[in-house]
Amino acid sequence: MYVLRTLADRLIGLSAFIGMVGLTVEMTVILIDVIGRALGHPLYGSHDLVTMTMSLIVFGGMALCDYKGGHVSVDLFERNFPPALNRVMDILSAIAGAVIFAGIAYYMYDYSKISVMLNRQTNLLDLPVAWYQWAIAALSVITALAMLLRAFELALLGEDVRKATEEQGL
Amino acid sequence: MSNEVTGLVGIICLFVLLVLRVPVAISMFIVGFTGIWLLNGTAAATGLLASESFTLATSPELVVVPLFILMGNVASITGMSRRLYDAAYAIIGSVRGGLASATVIGCGGFAALSGSSVASALTMGKVALGEMDRYKYDTRLSTGVVAAGGTLGILIPPSTGFVIFAILTEQSIGRLFLAGVFPGILLLGLFVIAITVICWFRPEYGPAGPKTSMGEKMRAIAGAGPIVGVILLTIGGIYGGFFSPVEASAVGAGMVILIGVFTGKLSFRDYWDATKDSVVTTATVMLILISAHMINPFMALSHIPTAVGEMITALELSATGVLILILAIYLVLGCFLEGFAMLVLTLPIFFPIILAMGIDPIWFGVLTVLTLEMGLISPPVGLNVFIVKSVAPNVELGTIFRGVLPFWLMMIVAVGILIAFPQIVLYLPNTMFN
Repeated sequence: MYVLRTLADRLIGLSAFIGMVGLTVEMTVILIDVIGRALGHPLYGSHDLVTMTMSLIVFGGMALCDYKGGHVSVDLFERNFPPALNRVMDILSAIAGAVIFAGIAYYMYDYSKISVMLNRQTNLLDLPVAWYQWAIAALSVITALAMLLRAFELALLGEDVRKATEEQGL
Repeated sequence: MSNEVTGLVGIICLFVLLVLRVPVAISMFIVGFTGIWLLNGTAAATGLLASESFTLATSPELVVVPLFILMGNVASITGMSRRLYDAAYAIIGSVRGGLASATVIGCGGFAALSGSSVASALTMGKVALGEMDRYKYDTRLSTGVVAAGGTLGILIPPSTGFVIFAILTEQSIGRLFLAGVFPGILLLGLFVIAITVICWFRPEYGPAGPKTSMGEKMRAIAGAGPIVGVILLTIGGIYGGFFSPVEASAVGAGMVILIGVFTGKLSFRDYWDATKDSVVTTATVMLILISAHMINPFMALSHIPTAVGEMITALELSATGVLILILAIYLVLGCFLEGFAMLVLTLPIFFPIILAMGIDPIWFGVLTVLTLEMGLISPPVGLNVFIVKSVAPNVELGTIFRGVLPFWLMMIVAVGILIAFPQIVLYLPNTMFN
């Protein structure tokens, strides 16, 4: 389990790193475009870069978001429920999340086949849309695996990684 | 089973899942996917799962979300929010209740940077509570003012609440941002009036702070100059038509980073931490949005919005009556549900009714977001109250809830004023975008 957790932490870190780099790139591209436009030379294709990079930011952060317990839930009745029920719901929620992200990954990959078939590209830079769909599918697989591992840890060890206040090695 | 009954069962299942603490996004995915699968088949459900995920994750309008979050995170890490408070403190801290008013103004300024109520309450709580404690402010007033002042974050642009509303209802983010400016200032003014009245009748609640010299005032104002400049540049840039909201968010984030670097307050490590937090918050927001786009078609297929619309029409209320009824429902729901989730869950039902009644969607958006703000300080959930409690652990929750009551009433007054005078909301967007 320790090896799996270490591997998962690294994958979650890598996924978040992609998102963080994406955010920096996105901000930089828009800034260059705005400054360039003021000088009469807007950045060609900035819109394509920005919108496609957004997909990396969104799905890059999903695994870390789950790891840090970032998903919003209604905790109003948590104290009224027996700890066993809370634990069972945590496990089931993690499994449901894993299934959802696995579904997104699978159907996104399926969707990308249509993009390849139709040779779908971005409007200006002609970037293949399928590249980003593959990236979303891969990042969703990481999120699904991370959620599945969290469910196993909760069920078998009674440990919840979200309880850790500071993530390590990420 | 008819479509309406399927929809009703779906809503009940959704609430059961939420009560059982299943994350909001996952609950909506489960119910939305299952509902579409039942009503429209497997291909429709799986197709939406992929297409909505990709469409929203590459939506150009949503690029503002991570960038404004990044701007707020960097401003917080570099202490820019503190300098806003210091300036307000230097100007009005020496009058009775002045520190509390300075806190509200600081909250308003920080709101113009972060777009998040929770971030505003947390940041200003750390900065202002200690100061007010030092000058013997009553804890009801000091904690109440931070919790209530923090709610300005969701009303004063840039506001993540407006972005979510805009995406869910296909309205212009720029128009909503501009529509929030005057209501935000109005609410800020009403909060200051509440503080003045409280300290007029109960001077011991907010004793006057120390007087500051003109030189100290000028230094404090100069210290806040750069961050005020960023706020004016981003909001003024949208208002003046120089930037789109997306460009304004990148310019704002870039400016606070540059200021942080040049003043030596932002290390690479700080920037990286701010980026990481921004990516995580973006993921939280986006997953809920994607899941909302799974549940919206299910609601439409079930005809629930039509049925609710017919029920409300049967009441034969005027458009204002319908508006007040919907806001009253939000007020009650806000006591139990997280505001963002409530918005996502209810808009598919209420928004078509609003359009059918001929109510201006921008006006409705501002009133809705203002009502959501009230949920942030309403018992028993009151997220901002819990945030303040986390900063001031020795203060009883009941004390904080009593402290926010005058501000909650002021929010009711603000809603009333905005219903009576829609021009306050619509003047800026109509003059700039028409």
